[in-house]
Parts: sequence; C-alpha cells; structure tokens
Amino acid sequence: MTAPATQETPAAPAAEAGPREIYLIGNTVDELGGVTAWTHQMARLFRRQGHPVHVIGIHEAELKLTLPGPPDYPVTALYPSHPPTARPLVGRRRLSPAARLYERRRLAAKQAAVARLSGILAQAAPGAVAVVTQVWPMEWLRQADTSRVRLIGMSHESYAYTRACHRHRWVKENYPHVDRWLVLTQEDADDWITLDGMQNVGAMPNALAHLPATPSPRTGRNVVSIGRLADQKGVDMLLDTWALVAPHRPDWRLRIYGAGEDETALKNQCTSLGLDSSVEWRGRTDDVPAALAEGSVFVQSSRGEGFPLALMEAMASGVPCAAFDCAPGVREIVRDGEDGLLAPPGDLDSLADRLLRLTGDQELRDTMGDKARVNVQRFSEAHVLERWEALFRLLDR
Amino acid sequence: MTTEPHPADAPDLSVVVPADAGPEALRACAASVLEQTLRHSEAVLVDPGRDSATTRACADLAARHPGRVRHVTAARGADPRDTGADHARGTWVTFLGPGERLQKDAGRNLLAAALDTGADLVAGTWTRLPAPGEKLPRGAEQAEPAWQRPLHTRTRTVGSLTDAPGLVVHDSLVTGFCVRRSLLDPEARPAVRHEEAPPVGDLLFGVRAALAARTVTLIPNTITTHRAAPDPAADAPARITAAARAARLLARHGHPGLAAARERALLTDHVLPCAAALLSMDREERARTAAQVAPLLAGHLGADALAPLDPVARACLRLLADGDADGARDAAYALANPGTVVSPVVAHAGRVHWRPGTEAAPSTEAAPGADPLDVTELGLQYRPFARLDLLNTVTRATRSQGRLLLVGRIVLPAHALPGRPEVTATLVLTCRDQPARTLTLPVDDIRYAKDALVWRACADLTRLLGARGVGDRVWDPALRVTAGGETLTTPLFAEPETVKPAGALRARPRLGRLTGDTWQPYVTAHHRLAVCLLARRRPARLAEKLLHYATHFRPARALRRRLAAVAARRKRLAGQAVKARVYRTLLLRLPVRKGQVVYEAHMGKQYGDSPRAIHEEAMARGLALRPVWSYAEKPDGFPADARLVRRWSWPYLVALARAQYWVDNQGFPHALDKPRHTTYLQTWHGSAYKRMGFDEARVKTQNDPQRRRLQRAVDRFDHFLIRAPHDADTLGRAYRLDPDKLLPTGYPRNDRLVAAREQHAPRPPLAEALGIPDDRTVVLYAPTFRGGPGHKDAELPLDVRRFAEEFGSTHVLLVRSHYMERAALPATAPGTVHDVSGHHDVSELLALADVLVTDYSSIMFDYALLDRPLIHFAPDLDAYTADRGSYFDLRERAGGPVVDTQDALHEVLAHLDEADPHWKAARARFAEEFGAYDTGGAAAAVVDTLFAAHTPRRRPKPCPASRRRPAERSGT
Repeated sequence: MTAPATQETPAAPAAEAGPREIYLIGNTVDELGGVTAWTHQMARLFRRQGHPVHVIGIHEAELKLTLPGPPDYPVTALYPSHPPTARPLVGRRRLSPAARLYERRRLAAKQAAVARLSGILAQAAPGAVAVVTQVWPMEWLRQADTSRVRLIGMSHESYAYTRACHRHRWVKENYPHVDRWLVLTQEDADDWITLDGMQNVGAMPNALAHLPATPSPRTGRNVVSIGRLADQKGVDMLLDTWALVAPHRPDWRLRIYGAGEDETALKNQCTSLGLDSSVEWRGRTDDVPAALAEGSVFVQSSRGEGFPLALMEAMASGVPCAAFDCAPGVREIVRDGEDGLLAPPGDLDSLADRLLRLTGDQELRDTMGDKARVNVQRFSEAHVLERWEALFRLLDR
Repeated sequence: MTTEPHPADAPDLSVVVPADAGPEALRACAASVLEQTLRHSEAVLVDPGRDSATTRACADLAARHPGRVRHVTAARGADPRDTGADHARGTWVTFLGPGERLQKDAGRNLLAAALDTGADLVAGTWTRLPAPGEKLPRGAEQAEPAWQRPLHTRTRTVGSLTDAPGLVVHDSLVTGFCVRRSLLDPEARPAVRHEEAPPVGDLLFGVRAALAARTVTLIPNTITTHRAAPDPAADAPARITAAARAARLLARHGHPGLAAARERALLTDHVLPCAAALLSMDREERARTAAQVAPLLAGHLGADALAPLDPVARACLRLLADGDADGARDAAYALANPGTVVSPVVAHAGRVHWRPGTEAAPSTEAAPGADPLDVTELGLQYRPFARLDLLNTVTRATRSQGRLLLVGRIVLPAHALPGRPEVTATLVLTCRDQPARTLTLPVDDIRYAKDALVWRACADLTRLLGARGVGDRVWDPALRVTAGGETLTTPLFAEPETVKPAGALRARPRLGRLTGDTWQPYVTAHHRLAVCLLARRRPARLAEKLLHYATHFRPARALRRRLAAVAARRKRLAGQAVKARVYRTLLLRLPVRKGQVVYEAHMGKQYGDSPRAIHEEAMARGLALRPVWSYAEKPDGFPADARLVRRWSWPYLVALARAQYWVDNQGFPHALDKPRHTTYLQTWHGSAYKRMGFDEARVKTQNDPQRRRLQRAVDRFDHFLIRAPHDADTLGRAYRLDPDKLLPTGYPRNDRLVAAREQHAPRPPLAEALGIPDDRTVVLYAPTFRGGPGHKDAELPLDVRRFAEEFGSTHVLLVRSHYMERAALPATAPGTVHDVSGHHDVSELLALADVLVTDYSSIMFDYALLDRPLIHFAPDLDAYTADRGSYFDLRERAGGPVVDTQDALHEVLAHLDEADPHWKAARARFAEEFGAYDTGGAAAAVVDTLFAAHTPRRRPKPCPASRRRPAERSGT
C-alpha cells in the first residue's frame, strides 16, 4: 500500500458506445428555475453527443424560462397547467358529491397522463435511460410502464435540505424503485446511505456551462454577490457582515446582483446599517461574466444550497470566493484555503474575516483566483458528460 | 432489457460461495447473487464433495443458470475459497461465508467504487444475525459490530492502512469486500490466499489482501448480510489465535502501531465476550474454556494493552489468563452489572486490590494497567456497607420437605463491616410485574465466614407465596441484610446447574389450580434466581391452551390491534400539538383571573432563580395574588403556598390562559401565545458571554419560518430584567427587544448575594446540611452546559478524584453541573465531594462557596457580586468561543485567573491567599461592568413595578421558606 491511487483511464467517448435514447423527466419543461435550466443544459449536451433526447415535464409553468434558442429535441408536457392536488376522501369529504367528482376527474386526468407517458416510453429502443430530475414525477412513473428504460432518479438538493421537508418521505418512498439515483455530492450520498439505508445512491455534480475566454482582471475594488433576494440566499446576513467589513475597507464596494421578494426589506436594512454609500444594488443580470469581470472577490452568504452554480461561475471567471460552508456542495466546489475561503454557516465574524483577508491582499486574490479557474474545470461539461456516460455503462453491466 | 449476459463474456464480479453449510444456505447465497442489479456477476459454488445433497443442489443451480452459476469441486488439500478464487473469471472477486447474502445493489456499488477510484480492494459494511437474546437497536433486524459505522461513515480512498486502521485492527475484512482478481494470483509473493479454514483463514486473508492492495476504498454501503452470529465461547480460542497471528503479520509488514492496536482490540473484541460467555456455562465447560484460553493470553496482557480498559475488565482478563474460571466469571458478572462487588477486595497502603493475597505486589504509583488486580479507581473503599452491591451467590438449592432450601454466600470485603457487628437477614420476594407487592420470609441462619457471609433459608413457597395466578406469575427473590444499622438488598446470583436440583414445588394460586400448579425456580437471562408459576398438570395445561387460543385467535388479534390504535390516538390527543391548538382556539378566550401569577424557572425544572425571589418577596408583603408554580417532573421542593401545575398539563394551560402575570426566566413554550390581558415579565437567567438569540450562528442559518417563530416568542415579553448596560447591548439586541421593555433593576436572585457581601454573614444552613466543617474551604465547581442532544453523558472536564486526593483534607468540592445535564461523579473519600446538581437554589450555593471554579458559565457574573475568589478553568475556551461566538474576550476582562489545565488550577488554588489580593481590582471592575444594577433591592423594585396595582392583605403570610414541601434531593 505505497503507490498512490491510480485513476482509471477515461473510457472512450460516447460516440463509440453508440447513441442511446435519453428521456429527461421533471416537474415542468419550462419553469424559471435551476433544475429546468439544468435539464435543458444536459439535453443540449446529450444531443451534441449524438444521443436522441426527449424532455418531458408533468406540466407547463406560468413563469417561463428563457432558453438560448429553440430546442432541437422534442419537449412534452403531460398537463397544460399544474395538475390538481389529491384530496383524499376521508371524513366529511367522503359524503360530498363535489369532492367525489373532483377526485374522479383528477384520477381520470392522471390516468390519461400516465397512459401518455407509457406511450412515449414504450417506443424506447434497448439501452434507453430515463433521468427523473425531481422526485415528484415518480408519482406518474411508478404507474407507467417503464420496463423498456432504465430509471435514474435525481435530487438537486443537499441531504440536510431534503431531510427538513416533505420530500424526504417522497424520496424514501419512490427512489428505492429506480435503478440508481443521484445526489449532488458523494457526501450527500453517504448521508443517504448511512442515515436512511438507501443503497442505490450515487453522486453526480452539476456541470459548469461556460468558461469565459478571459478571466476577471481583478482590478475593480468590488465584492460581488449574485443571487435571488430571498431568505434562503441570506443577503440579510451579508449586509450585517458588510457592516463589519466596510469601515476597514472604505475604498471597496459591495455589488449585489439579483431581485426578489425581500428587496425592499433588504434595502431598508442597508440604509439602517448606514451602508448606502458602500453597497450598490444592481438588480437582475443576464450577463454574469460581465458582472464578475468588474469584481475581485465573490461572496456567498446562503442559508442553504445544493451545488451552487454562482460559485462555479465566479471561480470560472478567476474571482476568489468567500462563502458560508452551508452544504456539502459548497465544500465540494471550493477547496477551503486553496481556491477560496469558507466560513462556518451563520458565523458573521468569520465571513467578515475571510472578506477582510481577500480584500486586503492582492497576492492572495491572484493566487486563489487563478487556482479557482483551473480547479473548477473538473466540473466542465466534458468531464461531467464523461461521468454520465460511465454511469450509463455501469447500468448496462 | 433483462437478457442474461452471454456466458463467454467475462463477468465483472465473481462471488465465491463455499458450499459447506448445506443446500438450503447454498440456495439462499446463490439467489442473492442471481438477484444482483449488477448482471455481469457470477456465483462460483465450491462443492467440498462431502454430501450428495449439496452436490445435487450445486449441479442443479449451475444447470438452471448457465453463465451465472458455476459448479466447481474443491481441490484436495486446498481451502475451498482458494479453489473458488482459482476458478473465478471476474475482474473482481468477493467471498460469501455460510448462509451470507449479498445485498442486491452490492455488486453495483462495489464495482462503481472500484472503477471510480481504481483501488485494489473495496470494503463496504456487513451485518450479522443476532446472537440468542441479543438486543438490537430499534428497527434493526440484524446486528453490526460497534466499530464498523465510524470506519465507514464517508466514502474514502486510502493509500496507507494507517489512515483506516479499523480495517485491520478489528475483524472488519472477514466479509463485505471485493479484491482485484490479479491480487489473488497463486504465484504472487506474498500470496493472498486463505490456506486455512475459517475463522483463522478468513481473518488472515482479509489482512493479507489489505496489505497487498496499493489503495483501498471504503464505502458506507451494506454489502453482505446474514453472517452467522459469533459464538464467543466456542470460537474464542481460534479467534484469539487468528487475531494474534494477524498482529504478527502486521508487525512483519512494518506496521508496529497497527499490530499493537490489534493486540488491544483482541482483548475487547474476543476475550471479554468470551469471559461474558462463561456466565452461561456449566462448571465443566467453563473450566475447559478457561484452560483453553488462558495459555493464549500469555504476552497479550501488557500494561499498554490494559491501560485503556475499565479496572474490572483488567481484573477479569488477568484472572482468565491465570486460568481462574470462577473468578473470571464473577468479574464478568460485575462487568454486566456495573458497581457489583464480586470479590473480597482489600485496602492496603492506599490502594485497593481485587482479593487478599494480591496486595503483596509493590504498590508504587504505577500507571494504570501495571497491576491488573489493582481496582483503587472504583472507589469501593469509600462506600459504606449499604451502598456496596455485594455479590450474593446461591451455592445450593434443593427441595426439602416440600420447601425450597437455599444456601448462599455473600462476598464481604474486610472494610465493609469492621468489627463484625451482629447481622440479620430476610428473604424478600418481589412480584416482577407489580414491584409494590413483596413477600418477606425469614432466613434461618446467617453468619460470618472467611471473606463472606453465608446464609441459609427455607422458603415454603407453596403455603406462603399467595399469588393470584394472573399478572403475578414471576417473583424475584433478594436477600435483605441488616448489619450495624445499615441495610443492603442483594439479588441472588445463580447458575442453572445449582438451581436444577431444586426441582419444582406445588403451587396453590388464589384464583384456582387452573391458573397454574407449580412454582419453578429458574435462572433469568441476567443470571439471577427467580421463581415462576407454571402449568404442569393436565387441567392447568388445558386451561392455558384455551386461554392462549382465546387471546390469539384472529378476532382477538384484531381486537388487540384496535386497542393499540385507540391508545395511540389517545396519546396523540394528549400531545403538545393538540394541546397548543386547543389553547389557541379555546383557552385564550377564557376571562382573566385577577391577581393570578404563573411562575416558572428553567422550564419547570427548578423552584429557584429570580422567579422564586419575586414570589417570596410578593408573599412576604402579603400581596393579594394567586401564585401558580409550574414544575417539570416532580413537585418536590416546590412551595406549598402556591398552586402547583405540571408543565404542559391541562391545568397549566388553563392557568396560563387566565393569568394576569407570567413570570419566567427562560421562556414559556413558544407555541403558547400570550393572552391579551397578561403582562409577561422575563427575568432571564444570566448575562451573556456566548452569542445568544438572533446573534447565534445556529439561529441565523435557520429558515425564515423558524426565525419568525422565535421572534414571535420573544415579542411576548413585556418586561425584561437587565443587570448592566452590557445586557442591553447584548441580550437586548440579540432578542431585538424594545429598549422600553428593559428594566434596569438587576436580578432578584442576586439580592441575597449582595446581602452576603455586605453582612459577612455566617455560612448558610446548607453547610450544616451537607456536613461541611467550618475549617474547610468550600470550592464550588459549576461548569457550563456543553454538547446538546445526544451528549448527555458528557464527561466533566475536571478530574474530581485527583482534586479530592490533593485537596481532600483542606477543601470541600461542591459539583454543580448545569441544570440540563447530570454528571456521574466518581467515588471519593466521604466528605470531600458533594454533587449539588439537584439543589434548587443556586444563589444559596454561591453564598456558601469560598471559591468558585467555572469555565465561562454565566454564573461567573453573579458570583462576582460576592467579591470572593473566582477561577476560570476552561480547557476548551478557544474551541468553544470559535464554535459559539462570544461578546467579549474573557481572558482580557476576566475577574480571576483563566487556566486551561488542571495542574494550573491546582497551582492557583494552592496559592490562592497570596495571589488573590492582586485580583481584587479586576474583580471589582468585572462586577461593576456586568452587574452595575445589582444593588440588593431587585426583588422589591420588580414587585413594586409589576404588582403596583395590588395591595397587601391585612395580615402578611408567614415566611414561605418554612412551608416548603420536603425536597428529596435538596441538600444532598
């Protein structure tokens, strides 16, 4: 036991293994949100690789996602809008004709949706896989005929986050029935295995979509934050932290990108902390690399995360990060002390300390930023795609 | 999609199954391979060719699953596993023991890890069948070794075995792992082969494979299940031999550290379970086992190996190594029943030895483990007769004239009954299902013998044991011994072979002979004598069968399920969620009861703190109030002049809903909203050092609804007491309190401390209650609560025994662990250490203490008011502050020395008189900074503010202190 671990040589590209039909099945096909964006990103990638792709959603969403271009693969929604929720006929409802009618119609609609899904999957050629991006569609899939495809489940949240909500029960009920299911990091997978005894779990990271041609020059004296202005993103904690940093760094600005329901409350908080002169509210942005190009440090103060894309994008732009270590995904992306700095979740003093270290040391920013840009490429589309192909091969064995 | 792979394809995984446990087990093993989600796997059945049924089963399986199952015949002279490995075609090979099964995803998980990391060996976890009578954790169907989980929590790849020592230190690699087939090449040197039969071959194979692998990957997945339960008695010699050989193998391969760890693990994993098994053996078997094991232990009981063990375990191992089967069995009983004294220990020259004759060994201040029979640490020398759990062995049990004749022997250490006072005894039988029912029978004879008390009793169970026959069928006898004014009750330790000759006795249950007709003495699973009522004759047997039918036929089973459902529903209705809803929807509409005050301290765990001081002040003034006190578990120690309600009971909820005032120091349940008509005084329970409330990292990272709930709970406060501007800056901000709500009165509980400082009053009566002589310095040790749920048995950072040895003659140590944890104190000389954790009133303890030793508990802020020496003993100060965050630097602003080792603490304590004057100024500053408003009139000021509208009744009530309910724990 002296030689270092030898990595298995990367297997041949997928083209050699031949095309394979891939169905991507999620809650919706077009909702504005991380999972749908991921679905279409992966659909494009699989498509480019030569695999036929079919994106299936349970329903069409109201808030639509803007895609870079029209998809060159079929997209199907089983319901035109959110399907009616189940209202079991118990208690008083058992006697109500209206409730009975509602339930009958709901079941009929569901049966139709299941039949449609079965019809699509029945045409699958041998070797086809269905990737279930969220656990909810399992309610339909478990009734549908899936004998011609291999099912791969996914959960795009950290273990702790799922554990704290109703989806924990859904996962425990549904995912024992898939061939394999995936969480974002090995640490999350280990938790599902040891704490919930689920044995068919693996890990699959999200892919970094885009590596900017030139990294940020890291000359602008700006700390950048990008994220929805919602409670989960912890911008309130960021403002409190900035109140500790700003007095020591009068020439630095905190640029907050994003919009959301908490915007007014956060702006009020900013004013009451007396930070109006050092915080810039930049609103929503579609050009993330441009926003990062003007920054030298990226900060993330979330309460919970899965596999945060924003961190990866910042690193791809060569901007070093300071972040709360709030989920396994964060520590998987940022190697603390090497290509970024992590602080214990909720510990404002520590996060302020990390920001002071990064803003006060040009050399540290440069070394960490350069390393970050190199290191984050282990999540490049090519690498992640290769991991998917390896998984498909494993399931064939 | 589910086509079988072509037989010509080399499989990924070969599973070698030696067919040496019969066709049934073989089929189960093979089925678990065939059900693998990894279809590129094969089972290699190795047929030893001993019986035709197995051969037929092998051939049949191979014929039915060509390509998946192969049938090979064991080569002569080779281990079947090695034959199987030679025939395996898979890139990876794993082995199944008799009856073991592969978890259905095991192959896929092993292969995924192997391909991902390129390791030569992938190890997962395994479970085994429970041993007879073994208790499993809730919900578990199979057992797993205790050391396994920590080893496999995270998926990891190690390049050196020292990074995952558990793999080779414990019997981890006996199943549940796969190796690259190229490693098993018979030509390789050193060869990775089994060579010998299990358990030796298994164990050594795992170690050899781990040593040969360049890298090892550990995964948390379950790989194999249904491993046979170990039989510590039968396997022990072979397992000890194997473990010792594994240790030598590790040492030869340049891992001396792992070899030493393996030697230590051998004792806990194999030898101690073997000693425990001695309890269930008969005399002959026991002697034989001890004789087999004893020679194997030579050279394994070094001081290094013994040091980490419990003193009783050390003695047990030593006795076993000496071939003393009965002595080892007794020690094993003491291990199973901690605290039992099983041998006549002797105190000699300050040390305590296991038995007379062993104290001759040089009793120098040697390291623990140097003399395995030295059990000084147990503190038995300090325990009085009544608190010694002496082993009482039944030496003879027979039937004599229809009665049960018992002869027994109680171990008696020389110091237990000095001067041999007169001794009497009775035999007490307790009904197991109704412990309140006992039967006391005379003991014919009890007298002193060498190192023992011997006794004889003749119990006429037939006539005297008046059981009904239903609900009282099992009775446990125990001996109650009285000597020198002290009474000790000891259960009867017995062995089946001793009890067997007693046979059975006639029984005459009061409900008639149909319920039972025989009293049968037997030995329980805990090796104690008991008698149970049996049905032996035909009428009773028939009645028993009928009853069994009536209670077990289908409608009865359905009825039982129904009753259980009703019980569960009732329990749910009595739960907090339902109560909170009823409180919100109904109780909150009830009208106010003028003058009703609900008091609560530390969530009902105490009658104390500031709420008590306010209550006493209000009662002393004779205000026309209706006081109600909430208690958590028992009302003992709570005042008799108030109505007492149990926390979360219906009367509690009604009292809260109708109260005009709420007074509390920590927070009434968050789910209960404050009624419109109520004024809430939050006295709080201490100034803040660590971050609190919304300043806490834990709270900050909670989601919005959780933080909103906390805010809602905090918004209920109408007044909040503070002791200094520091509180306003910390607690006031942390809980986002309106500055108008802060009452700068100081804490009512501290009035007593201010008075004690100014009057130099004599020691409170508590000193007398605890029996503390005037000339002793009283040191109060009160560390903060650490850990959280699951850390209940946290160890005290202070070594109390060491403290008592050094300062026992001049000091008295009072230990108060935080109100949320209870520390078990080690036995020390009487009068040196007192556990005062259960004492309700902390300020009384503070007033009693001459010196306070604490870490960063908020008690330091209160004690500073007394202007007495204060020492911060905080070995983990930096870790704690980094973890929890703090409002200031303790080292900079402390009111006394901050030390982080016990040596330093002793040093400071020894020279307290010289050093203390230098701390006077710092202490005054500390007291001023954190307790400026504590001027001695807090209770009066609070009562003036809160109860301004209430006038005194004509005649003030008598002093409430004299009317308290007797407290069970108070002052002990």
